[in-house]
Amino acid sequence: MRRFIEVLPGPKPVKYSLAVAIVLVALVALFFIYDWVGSSVLDTGGTIG
Amino acid sequence: MDDSFNTTATSTRARTSSSVVVKTIRVIGWTSLIAGILILGFVAQQLFVTSWFADRNQAALEDQAQTYFTEASAGAEVVPYVPSQAGLQPETGSGTPVGADPSDGTEMEVRRTILVEPAPPVHQAFAIIRVPTIDKLKDGWTVVEGVTRSDLKNGAGHMPHTALPGQPGNAVISGHRTTYGAPFHDFDQLEPGDIIEVETAIGVHTYAVRETEIVRPTELWVTEPRDGAWLTLTTCDPKFSSRRRLVVFAELVDGPNAEAILGA
Repeated sequence: MRRFIEVLPGPKPVKYSLAVAIVLVALVALFFIYDWVGSSVLDTGGTIG
Repeated sequence: MDDSFNTTATSTRARTSSSVVVKTIRVIGWTSLIAGILILGFVAQQLFVTSWFADRNQAALEDQAQTYFTEASAGAEVVPYVPSQAGLQPETGSGTPVGADPSDGTEMEVRRTILVEPAPPVHQAFAIIRVPTIDKLKDGWTVVEGVTRSDLKNGAGHMPHTALPGQPGNAVISGHRTTYGAPFHDFDQLEPGDIIEVETAIGVHTYAVRETEIVRPTELWVTEPRDGAWLTLTTCDPKFSSRRRLVVFAELVDGPNAEAILGA
């Protein structure tokens, strides 16, 4: 994680802000992927046809 | 000198080899850890997060349904009930009285009438389903018009173009079994005779379970119109899989239109 932050551009506060932003975007993307997989495979809502 | 060189070379080789093993184990360890966290996250998201959102939306949807009841009840109409039209959504403001003689145009007495509410707009919360024998549905669960993925995120949806609850024909409602509040989670516990109530703008329609069946998701016959007034509830089966559908067939036994439909 520390290595990942160090690679980011800018001074330390910018590096940390970027890291937080990247993690948030990744979490939101993950949420949508989970949502899609869940409603396609695990439980489609029981529709017919 | 040679011995010393050989020992150093062997030791370097051993260190390199052990470093490769350590690196491999480290990569496998991190990969397993990340995969485990992702899988746990998926399970948590599906079981808890989706249900948390659905439960939270229920309060708002119930308010929306109550508002809709007031609006739609004003637009409800009394129309003649023609048994041969069972399965079709009666058109409001039209219909030939039962017994009308088309040959000479004379009208005979209208024997039976039913109360018909206007078709709800897509995505509208328009009904509340209650099942007294199932804890989750004792207090009711809101049903929206439509069965798209987003409609069903709130738990249960009415299949458009099928009859509305309380109307002649076959009203089809689908719902989640394990996620998004899982309103139909315990449908495998329903037995013939169990009561299902559906509240709409024109009143509370009471159905009695007649049978349950497990079918393939492509078996469209379960949604086809039927004589009388039926409620067909569909959900995934088995739990945590969408391989099959658990279908509950229930017949109207009481409600604003029951007498007209059952007496036909």
